[in-house]
Amino acid sequence: MSHVLIVGASMGGLRTAESLRRTGFEGEITLLGAESEYPYNRPPLSKEYLLNPETKIHFNLNHDTLQSEFVLGDAAVHANLKEQTVSTKQGKAFTFDYLVAATGLRSRSLKFENNLQTKRFSLRTKSDAEKLRTAISSGMNVAILGAGFIGCEMAATLTKLGCSVHVIAPEAIPLALALGDDFARVIQRHHEAHGVTFHMNTSVKDLIGEDDIRGVLLGDGTKIDCDVLIEAVGSITNVEWLEENNLDLTNGLLLDHALHAVTSEGPLPHVYGVGDIARFPYAQRPLPARRIEHWNIPIEMAKRVAKDICFQEGLDVADYSPTEAFRPLASFWSDQFDMHILSYGELHLATSRKLLDGDFDGDFVVGYYRDDELVGVAGLGMRGVLNTYRAEISI
Amino acid sequence: MIKVIVDMDKCQHYGQCVYEAPNIFKLNEEDKLEYLATADDSELGNIQAAVDICPMQAIQLIKE
Repeated sequence: MSHVLIVGASMGGLRTAESLRRTGFEGEITLLGAESEYPYNRPPLSKEYLLNPETKIHFNLNHDTLQSEFVLGDAAVHANLKEQTVSTKQGKAFTFDYLVAATGLRSRSLKFENNLQTKRFSLRTKSDAEKLRTAISSGMNVAILGAGFIGCEMAATLTKLGCSVHVIAPEAIPLALALGDDFARVIQRHHEAHGVTFHMNTSVKDLIGEDDIRGVLLGDGTKIDCDVLIEAVGSITNVEWLEENNLDLTNGLLLDHALHAVTSEGPLPHVYGVGDIARFPYAQRPLPARRIEHWNIPIEMAKRVAKDICFQEGLDVADYSPTEAFRPLASFWSDQFDMHILSYGELHLATSRKLLDGDFDGDFVVGYYRDDELVGVAGLGMRGVLNTYRAEISI
Repeated sequence: MIKVIVDMDKCQHYGQCVYEAPNIFKLNEEDKLEYLATADDSELGNIQAAVDICPMQAIQLIKE
């Protein structure tokens, strides 16, 4: 009986196990998770879960249909892909017929001269959110480094919790890198109307304080008082356990069109990547392979990987062709104050943008183009209009 | 039969479910979600996909 070892027990790992069962796989499945938690949904960590610890974030698990072994609170430290083994921090050893690498990301942390650690937080795991929640209370000053989605969502949530929030980032407008200037200005305006203060075009030179952080010193000499510092400055791929296997691990795990890990001697048909660590090629664009950290991507990858494993196992997999390139439509959403942002496609490919409907004072839809081809849409509200453009996106 | 339950307090009307199970879910003219509370077993795969893809994890499926 074949054994699928899934390293990483977050959404990507869980969805892979579920998809395997739904596609008819009857062998053994093991999920190895570094956190001591059954799979949970991460997006609420910066929003609902931070506001209300009663929020249910774990995914519904049906152990009867899943028939999978969860090994939690233990992390893979090394894989030997030739021998088809994985060893763990706690000294366990697994063998596998198929390996699914779904170990995701960890938060990046900056280094300062006065590199204080107390009252300093990041947000990636449930435990991170719990630590942060116990540290904050209404009336506190909070400095957030980074104005990406996590930074902006946290700014909104902490403002709702009664904190006075300062966001510090090197770009000119929050979220401008992701959404473009016009869209980003709208977001900044909404945040400012709710009391968030932005310090843009600057960075933190050093931290102020002796034991606890008391403030941050900006590049221009400005000092900002804070009781709590949150770093939302990006993430690092958890790929170290895959080293020494001749894989390409620059910025994640490089995969081929069927999501098989690639070595310099070619793809490994029994080793897959799923989720945030997966760097996968474009089906028809002469561009380097990319990682996409959007929430729906692991779900799409899990389905594809499950089909490929079942196909290799000789099962009858409806509508599956192993040579067909994986071509998911990426999608993300973000809730900040009363704003509900939704996007389809890969906005980072755009060389130009156009307002397709609405106006920047209310709800709107923006189109993102590369050489006159629509590569993405994003908007505030106007779901009906936004959705009509979805089918036109060409990646 | 399949019973479909959507927690409308959680739902933000993102409409991702509409693409997975168009026979069950739709956005109305005001971009609000409408759905059928019961569905035929043939819709199981589609509804399951809708449950998985919902950003708010607001959809529940009960097999009867």
